[in-house]
Amino acid sequence: MEYTKQGRRNRTLIIIWTIFVIAFIYLPVICDALSSISKGRYFMFPIKKFSLDWWSKTANSIEISSLVSNSLLIAFVVTILSTVIAFCGALAFARFSWKGKKLFQKIILLPVFFPQPVLGLALLLWFNAIGINLSWQTAVFAHLVWITPVVTLVIAIQVYGFDPTLEDAARDLGATPFQIFYRITLPLLWPGVWSGMLFAFLLSWGNFPLSLYTTGVDNTVPKWLYSKMVAGYTPMVPTLGTMSTLGAAGLMLVGALTVYMMHRRQGRA
Amino acid sequence: MISSKNEVTQNVAEEIKPGQPLLDLVNVCRDFDKVKVIKNVNLVVKKNEFFTLVGPSGSGKTTILKMLAGMDQPTSGDIVLGSKSISTLPPDKRPTCMVFQFLALFPHMTVGQNIEFPMRVKGMRAEDCIAKAQKLLDLVHLPEDYYNKNVMKCSGGERQRVAIARALAYDSEIILFDEPLSAIDAKLRKTLQKELKDLHRRSGKTFIYITHSLEEAMFMSDRVGVLCKGELKQVGTPEEIYAHPVSRFVAEFIGDVNIFPIRVKPTGGWGSTDFPGQLFKVEPHGDDLEGYIIVRPEALKLVKEGTQVDNVIECKVLNQFSLGSRSQFQLACGKKEITLELPRSEVDLNSVGKTIKIGWNAHDAIFVTE
Repeated sequence: MEYTKQGRRNRTLIIIWTIFVIAFIYLPVICDALSSISKGRYFMFPIKKFSLDWWSKTANSIEISSLVSNSLLIAFVVTILSTVIAFCGALAFARFSWKGKKLFQKIILLPVFFPQPVLGLALLLWFNAIGINLSWQTAVFAHLVWITPVVTLVIAIQVYGFDPTLEDAARDLGATPFQIFYRITLPLLWPGVWSGMLFAFLLSWGNFPLSLYTTGVDNTVPKWLYSKMVAGYTPMVPTLGTMSTLGAAGLMLVGALTVYMMHRRQGRA
Repeated sequence: MISSKNEVTQNVAEEIKPGQPLLDLVNVCRDFDKVKVIKNVNLVVKKNEFFTLVGPSGSGKTTILKMLAGMDQPTSGDIVLGSKSISTLPPDKRPTCMVFQFLALFPHMTVGQNIEFPMRVKGMRAEDCIAKAQKLLDLVHLPEDYYNKNVMKCSGGERQRVAIARALAYDSEIILFDEPLSAIDAKLRKTLQKELKDLHRRSGKTFIYITHSLEEAMFMSDRVGVLCKGELKQVGTPEEIYAHPVSRFVAEFIGDVNIFPIRVKPTGGWGSTDFPGQLFKVEPHGDDLEGYIIVRPEALKLVKEGTQVDNVIECKVLNQFSLGSRSQFQLACGKKEITLELPRSEVDLNSVGKTIKIGWNAHDAIFVTE
C-alpha cells in the first residue's frame, strides 16, 4: 500500500517536472508563434484577434525573400564544404596515425570552444587586413571555421565505429577502391554523414554572431531579426522567426525520417 | 567463372593438377619493427588439399595467412604459385579469397547481396548473379528464402555459411580461413567442422585454414602445419603429427603427454632425472646422448602380474577422472606427475591413494632431442 502511494507520488512528480521542462523550453517559441498570428502590432495577452496577415505579408516581402535566399545559400554552401572537409578529416583521424595527430586533432577542434563574437571579430579584422570585401562568401568562410569541427566530431563518431575489415573483405573479393567507397564505406558511414550535414545546415542557418561581423551588405535571417528588434520592430519579426523555427523543425523531421528509411531499407529498423 | 583481374594467377592455379604443389612458401620472413614475427618458413600446399596451420596465439598464423591473401608482404623470401611469384601481388590479383575471423559480412546488405557482391563488382549480369547466389545458398545448406534476409538477423552458424558462400562466389582456387569458428559455441562448431570438410570435398577448392584449436585442425585437415613463435615446427598428416611429433612443443600442443628428460649414463643405459637410479630402454638410440621421451597417456599400461613391458615405474594415484568410455588418472612418481588413460573396463573404481605399477614399451615412446 505504502509502496503504491509512493510510486503514485513519484509518477506525479515526474509528470510535473516534465511539463515544467517542456514549458521552459517551448513557451518562448509558442509566444513567438502566437505573436505572429495576432492581429495587433504588439504581442499582448489575451490576444484579442487572430489573423494570418503578417504571415502573408512576410511571405510576399521582397526584402525577406532576399535574406532567406542569402541564408539558404550560405547554409547550403557551408553544408557541402564542411561535410566534405569533415568527412576527409574524420577518416584521417580514425584510420591513420601520424606524428602530432593528437595535437592536430585538438587544434582543429579548438574553434568550437571560441566565443563566437570573438571569432567573428577576429575574422572581420583579418578580412579587412588582407583587403577582402565582406559578402555572403566571407560569411561562408566564417561559418566553416566554426561548423567544420562540429561536423568532424559528428562524422568521426560513426567512423570510429566502422570496422575496416569490411573494406579489406571487399578488396579481397575483387572490388576496386571506388567500388569499396561507394558500395561499402559510404553506405555504412552515411548515417553519420547525414547527421553531420543536418548539423551543418542548421548551425549555419541559425548563426547570428559570425554573420553579424562577416556578411557585409548581404543580410541573413538572424541578422535581420536582430536589427529589427533593435530598431523598426514589425510583427514580421516573430512571423519570420516562427517560419524559420518551423523550417528547421521540418528539416529535422525529414532528416530523422530519412535515417529511419535508410535503416529500414537495410533491415535494421 | 567470373572474368577478373586475377585471371592470370587463377589460370596458373587451374593448370596445376590435384595433389601437385600449388603454393610454395620459400624462406618467408616477416619483421615488424625489427622483431622477427615469421622466421624462414618453408611450406608447400598441394592443390585441392585441406591444409591447416595450427599454433598458439602470437605464433604468426594470421600473418602468414595475410601474406598469402596479399594483405601483407614478406620482408624476405618468396611466395610462389605454380612457378609464378605472387609475393608482391595485391589481393585482387591473386587466386585467393579470405573468410575472416569475424566473417566481415556487409551489415547493410541482405544474405543474397552479400553472396552476390564479388560477382556484382566484376560486372556480372544481375540474373546470373541471382542464379549463382541461389545455387550457393543451396550448397551451404541455407534455405532459398534466406536470399532476402538481412544478414545481421542470421544466427552465428548461418552467417558462417553466408561468408563461405560469398567466398565461393568469388570462385578463386584457394580459400583462406582465418579462425572463422572461434566465436561459435562448441556444439555448432562441431557441426560446422563436418560441413566445412564436406564442402571442401564437394567444391574441389584448396582450403587453407588457421586455428589455435588442435582438435579442429586434426578433425578437418588433410595435412597440418604446427607453428611456434614464427617457426614452422612440423608439417604432416594429423596421424603423423600425433604419432611422431618432432619436438616437445609439438607433442605438448597435440594433446596430453608425459615427457621425461633422458640421457645416456656413463655406466651404460638411459637414465632420467625424474626417476633417479632407474634405467630405461629407449628407441631409436641414434647418436644422440640426451633428449626427451614422450609417452602418450594411452600408451601407458597398468602393470599386473605377467604383463610384459620394457619400462616399469611405481606411482601413487592422486586423482581419477571419468572421460566416458575411458578414465584418466593423475599419478605421482616422486615429484613427477604422470597422466594415464585406460579403457573403463580396466579401471578399479577405488584406486585413489593406492600405489600402482605402470609401464610402456620402448616402441610406444617417442624420442626427441628438443
